[in-house]
Amino acid sequence: MRTIHLAATALLTGLAAAGCSSTAPEPQDMARTTVQTAPADLQLTCASAAATSAGVDADKVLPVGSSQLDATRYQVELNASGQRYTCVVDNMGTVTSVQKAA
Amino acid sequence: MAGMSRLRGRLGWVAALFMAVGLGAALAQVGPTTQIFDPKTHKWINYDRKKARQYYAAHGQVPDAFRRQIVTFRTAEKPGTIIIDGNQHFLYLVLPGLKAVRYGIGVGRDGFGWAGIVRVGRTAEWPTWTPPAEMVARDPNAAKFAGGMPGGPDNPLGARALYLYQGDQDTIYRIHGTPEPWTIGLDVSSGCIRMNNDDIVDLHAQVRVGAKVVVLMQGAALYKGV
Repeated sequence: MRTIHLAATALLTGLAAAGCSSTAPEPQDMARTTVQTAPADLQLTCASAAATSAGVDADKVLPVGSSQLDATRYQVELNASGQRYTCVVDNMGTVTSVQKAA
Repeated sequence: MAGMSRLRGRLGWVAALFMAVGLGAALAQVGPTTQIFDPKTHKWINYDRKKARQYYAAHGQVPDAFRRQIVTFRTAEKPGTIIIDGNQHFLYLVLPGLKAVRYGIGVGRDGFGWAGIVRVGRTAEWPTWTPPAEMVARDPNAAKFAGGMPGGPDNPLGARALYLYQGDQDTIYRIHGTPEPWTIGLDVSSGCIRMNNDDIVDLHAQVRVGAKVVVLMQGAALYKGV
């Protein structure tokens, strides 16, 4: 009996880990594109941080690309008055790094 | 012999044409695709023009995600600023208190997407649509309106238009309504941002001339204002 219980628990844990959970997104989140980008507000948070780092007007910094690094962090590529910057921001809006691209 | 040579030349040309068509089809599949979640099957399904039209016919509106709603939006941008996320097909109007109104939009098809920082130069109610010269040259329907199509429910610009300027120059891009509301959520335009008519009327009522507009588009073909 204990063996069956353990096996069932392991199976459920495995299914959850494999992403087999049937939880549906909220209605407002039921659309996406196959290109995964950082949320717009997080991209702008990075633009603001890069403007400070580059010493340029925030109106001259544009996010030009982004990707998800892991469950909580995004990387954003920026054009700051012609200079390239890379920024890492988490999903709470905290910028963890801003670096001038090589 | 000369006939054989001509035949080989023609076969080579046909083969090259088939390769080009095949490559084009393959590249078309590589581009980004909108997907919606099907609550019945619990699967993400591709949402193309045909599927969008079927959805609109069945429900009388676009999917929930593309309908107007208030969302949390953590930004230092001033209230009244417009942020366009071209990849995800959303337009945000920044509100006070880290909130925004989110609207669904249609954007430029592959090769027509652009990004930049511009401003609202002027606005119009039930605007006149004047097709560009190249469209007049290739499309007999557009040629009928070479002198301008009066505003109205069939006008491609819909109920309102916000004209986007870079400095004092008209970029030729607009945020406007549409008589084809099922195209919201898709990459369909020549670079303009389209919204359903109710939404553009709502946005127009809240936006001032001079408002900053940030257009985000990964993989843009063109940049404006930076």
